[in-house]
Amino acid sequence: MTQKIEVDFGLCESNGVCMGIIGEVFDLDEQDYLHVLQDEVTPENEQQVKEAVRQCPRQAISIKDE
Amino acid sequence: MVRTGEVPARSIIFMDPPDHRHMRSLLNKAFTPRAIQSQRETVVELAEHYLAKADPDNFDVVQDFSGPFPVEVITRMAGVPEEFRQQVRHWIDKSLHRKPGQIDLDDDNMQANIDSAVYYYGLVQERRADPQDDMISRLIAAEIPDDEGNLRKLDDIEITGFTTLLGGAGAETVTKLVGSAVVEFAKHPEQWQMLLDDRSRIPDAVEELLRYVGPVQYNVRYSLKDVELPSGRVPAHKPVFLMGAAANRDPRAFDDAETFDITRDRTQAQNLGLGYGIHSCLGAALARMESAIALDHLLDFMPRYEVDFAGLQRVNMQNVAGYHHVPVRVLK
Repeated sequence: MTQKIEVDFGLCESNGVCMGIIGEVFDLDEQDYLHVLQDEVTPENEQQVKEAVRQCPRQAISIKDE
Repeated sequence: MVRTGEVPARSIIFMDPPDHRHMRSLLNKAFTPRAIQSQRETVVELAEHYLAKADPDNFDVVQDFSGPFPVEVITRMAGVPEEFRQQVRHWIDKSLHRKPGQIDLDDDNMQANIDSAVYYYGLVQERRADPQDDMISRLIAAEIPDDEGNLRKLDDIEITGFTTLLGGAGAETVTKLVGSAVVEFAKHPEQWQMLLDDRSRIPDAVEELLRYVGPVQYNVRYSLKDVELPSGRVPAHKPVFLMGAAANRDPRAFDDAETFDITRDRTQAQNLGLGYGIHSCLGAALARMESAIALDHLLDFMPRYEVDFAGLQRVNMQNVAGYHHVPVRVLK
């Protein structure tokens, strides 16, 4: 079973907290639009992704089992 | 409202999804961390302007500096003409003031609400006739889905309410945070020195101030379902007081929670100074930027200073804590 990162773009307001925690996964472009560069949760990024989920002030990020 | 069971006005802060999302999406792109960079120069100019006028021997941080400048920024963004911007702050102060024991609005509160509503209502009419590049004009042009899914425009009352809220939220809070910051750093001069030595610590200092002396004390919510907490059950359909300021000093969340420490590990827990979730502060990035710029300029203006603790006067207001007067003497 893999775990995927999901962003609710209706909630996201581009605060960029996630990008600050793990820029390899979350990136804000010039238009302030968030891109998930790598949507799979791996043992390497898991801790930081979970931190991003927790710290997102909009609760816009979640982790989903696939 | 809680006592009487009165239904709150149709304001974004009391809305649930999907209405909340529709209203918030009208303005949220103007407040992203990147978007508010366009306000940086304005904030710096205002900070410099007010500090240039201040008397180092007789400086009141709130009256001379942290009161006047944030309201200028937000009301300018909203579209209030320059000559009325400070008046907005005085209406807010009067509207939110509470006498000891007072729960309901008194005549002074009501008068301030009426005066500011009449003013904004008139401004909305002016912008309808002659749109500008400002938030009021954007709200006039905006369309949101109604209950049947058809697009509709906002009415004058909705725009007036939204603009009043922006002015209040954008003026009151940074004013209090910066005033309280000066008091805290007077008690902890070694941490002020850390900022003098290394300005890159300012953002951490702002976060710790939000945690430790964040002005907003509580929010009221309404439970839609039963919620189980370690301390018991919150029943459905009840008003709930969320004491964010208490949570910010919860020893289960923060080591030495009662200690002011700008070097603390910020990943340990999230501070709730600007809220959390769908109603989290729309102006969070602006508040952080204004506070950081304010601290940066205060470090230049008063590298060493004394607070006249006997002269401190706290505000007595609806849901924000902080000072009305913070008298300071800048040391040579």
